[in-house]
Amino acid sequence: MSPQQVAVIGTGQTVFKKHHDDKVYAELVQDATLAALADAKMTPDDIDAVVFSMAPTEFVGIHDIEKWSVDSIFGAGKPLMRIHTGGATGGSALHAGYTHVASGLYNNVLVVGADRVAETPDSQHVLNLIWDRFYEFDFALNTVTMTALSSQRQMSLYGTTEEQFAQVVVRARANALRNPHAHLKGKITIDDVMNSAPISWPYKLFDCCPRSSGAAAMVLTNLEGARKKCTKPAFINGIGATASTVFQGDKTGPKADVEYADLAELEIAGKEAYGQAGITDPMREIQVAELYDPFSSMQFPQIESLGFCGRGEAAALSDAGAFDLGSELTVSPSGGTLCTNPIGVTGLVRAIEAANQVMQKAGDMQVSGVRNAVATAIGGSAQFYTCSVFGADHL
Amino acid sequence: MVPVFKENDAYILGVTLHEARDRVTDKRLEEMVYDTAKKALDAVGLNRRDLDHVTIAACDELDGRSISSMLLAAPSGAYLKDEIKATDSGLTGLCLEATRIRSGRFHLGLLVSWNKSSIAPFEDVMRMRCEPFYTRPIGLNMSITDGLFAGAMRGADEAKASQVAASYGQAAARNPRGVARTPAGADAIAASPYVSTPLREGHRPPVTDGAIAMVVVSGKWLNDNPGKTPMARLSGIGWSLESYQLGAERLSSMSGLKTAYSNAMADAGLSGAADLDVIEIEAQTAYHDIATREALAIPADQIVSPSGGPFAQNPYFCAGLVSAAEAVLQVAGKAGPVQAGQVKTAAAIGFHGFAHQGTVAAIFQEVPA
Repeated sequence: MSPQQVAVIGTGQTVFKKHHDDKVYAELVQDATLAALADAKMTPDDIDAVVFSMAPTEFVGIHDIEKWSVDSIFGAGKPLMRIHTGGATGGSALHAGYTHVASGLYNNVLVVGADRVAETPDSQHVLNLIWDRFYEFDFALNTVTMTALSSQRQMSLYGTTEEQFAQVVVRARANALRNPHAHLKGKITIDDVMNSAPISWPYKLFDCCPRSSGAAAMVLTNLEGARKKCTKPAFINGIGATASTVFQGDKTGPKADVEYADLAELEIAGKEAYGQAGITDPMREIQVAELYDPFSSMQFPQIESLGFCGRGEAAALSDAGAFDLGSELTVSPSGGTLCTNPIGVTGLVRAIEAANQVMQKAGDMQVSGVRNAVATAIGGSAQFYTCSVFGADHL
Repeated sequence: MVPVFKENDAYILGVTLHEARDRVTDKRLEEMVYDTAKKALDAVGLNRRDLDHVTIAACDELDGRSISSMLLAAPSGAYLKDEIKATDSGLTGLCLEATRIRSGRFHLGLLVSWNKSSIAPFEDVMRMRCEPFYTRPIGLNMSITDGLFAGAMRGADEAKASQVAASYGQAAARNPRGVARTPAGADAIAASPYVSTPLREGHRPPVTDGAIAMVVVSGKWLNDNPGKTPMARLSGIGWSLESYQLGAERLSSMSGLKTAYSNAMADAGLSGAADLDVIEIEAQTAYHDIATREALAIPADQIVSPSGGPFAQNPYFCAGLVSAAEAVLQVAGKAGPVQAGQVKTAAAIGFHGFAHQGTVAAIFQEVPA
């Protein structure tokens, strides 16, 4: 039996910034909940179940934080579960929300979460603790140095340059000027990126995402609910996910199943999602891609893994403006993860921005004529991948 | 050939429990998880490559590492598979797994959960579950909230709790899947030290190390693989999270339990406890058993927790899923010395969070030959 159709009918976000000094975590998550419910023309009583999106709690310093938040999001007395796959959490939470509805167990599901990454003085110290105690813990591996290694490999394999990575940042910051929720935004130049402080070669400061705080929420429903509540829902037509090895070294060399520089696990997840959605020619059929790109180098391999061009081709296409706002494929019109990274909900924000484009509700970021959009999320040691395809038409 | 099974129904094809021990000292957690997942697949004649998804239920804080699934997804069989982790409890992982199978999107999955309790500073982890403004400064933790729960219950006294704990211990002693212990008598339990008045040390089981893996399949998969025989059908599932606020009503009403249980029973098409042959309760204290019986109006002669529940083994985070495994074994007639006769329908009830804030109920039914 085919899965029930699942649609997005409401989304909500707070502004993202380094600190929300005026609100506690539970208040932030309530703000996003209320915004999503209002957007869906629903009240809390309409929600049957909640999926909570939250990655490591060490940034905030409160374990099982969803249990504290349950009253603030009107979830007390309802089915609620928390999903956590590192940086991919928001994408995985969306997929869990999808199966809640597709299974027929629940009609209306709230997917919600928040993060306050900058609550801890040094998030990269926390992110060092995610690795293996015996092999990787004791040298300076964190998410910056980890992805810097794959960037170097990408440069070596395909000849990608630091300036081409910098162009991604310039585009993202400019796009974010249209996004009222974005953390970083502005008109900058390639020179600005190149001259920003060195972090871990090839990364300079501007190549790296900020530590963001804020909340995001989405309301999912079935086909009947979508028809009643929303004139232009975004249907979740395809979901795919892939988990890989924690060890980066296993993704290099002739025996590797997946190539580290290519983020090739996303190709597996993308093919699954495209297969479900009936997407056969992504460049022609998909108009917007909201990518999980916390570092400038992570955009090109994702574009290639999702089949928008061949391996090693994305950088040159980027230089030519192929992914700019309003081009055949607009990449991260919101500014993407490079401009806003509240880790526990970043994948959900990507999904919200993609769904908003399909729903024609993206405001100043709206790309005209969007019928299909794709959103990604990545977590762990570039290890957990999700891909979600949103469509204006249901299957 | 006429399909036998409803395509989107969820079935338990196999269950494997890691050997229960107070402390596993000869394996890393990754090895415990790998051994359990591998054994579960081997037992049903399947290979990791056959899986179309993996569902993990685990707790970073109790594992002692942020994003603990980074190192544990592959040992769980998830390498290059679609994998999601739920963090509330092992039994919550079964809820997520049920939604995945019943969505029609997934057909052959491995649900894996674990807790190497011996390496976790348990009450430190629990104290960090308190929000930092009111409850953390006063030193609230799991023991204290369970003590508040016990104190808030009406009609339960310490003597009764001691008798219940003793009966759990006696059942656990018969369970070959439990940690071998000499059961304590009710008098000894009643004389054990207070943990948080009126909760005594003997009213709750010690935590142990353990892991569990369940192979879960859809009816469609079974129709396509007629040589495979499921142990049970997961016919009903329900879960609920109560308020964080620990008022008297919240502590004593068991409203989350009632919601989860009634949803699961309705999902299974059952009306009351009399429809169940066995109920396995994840009794983290004797008061959990007493309160559950009262809240669900379980008849006095109902067979409850023949496995001994967490008093047999208590890998805390996944103890509820262990209770579910025991329920599955009952339905399959494979519970060994604790088999409660011919069992057609069994329920598992699990808790998580401070003072049973979260509850899960799962119903398993016999699959006719």
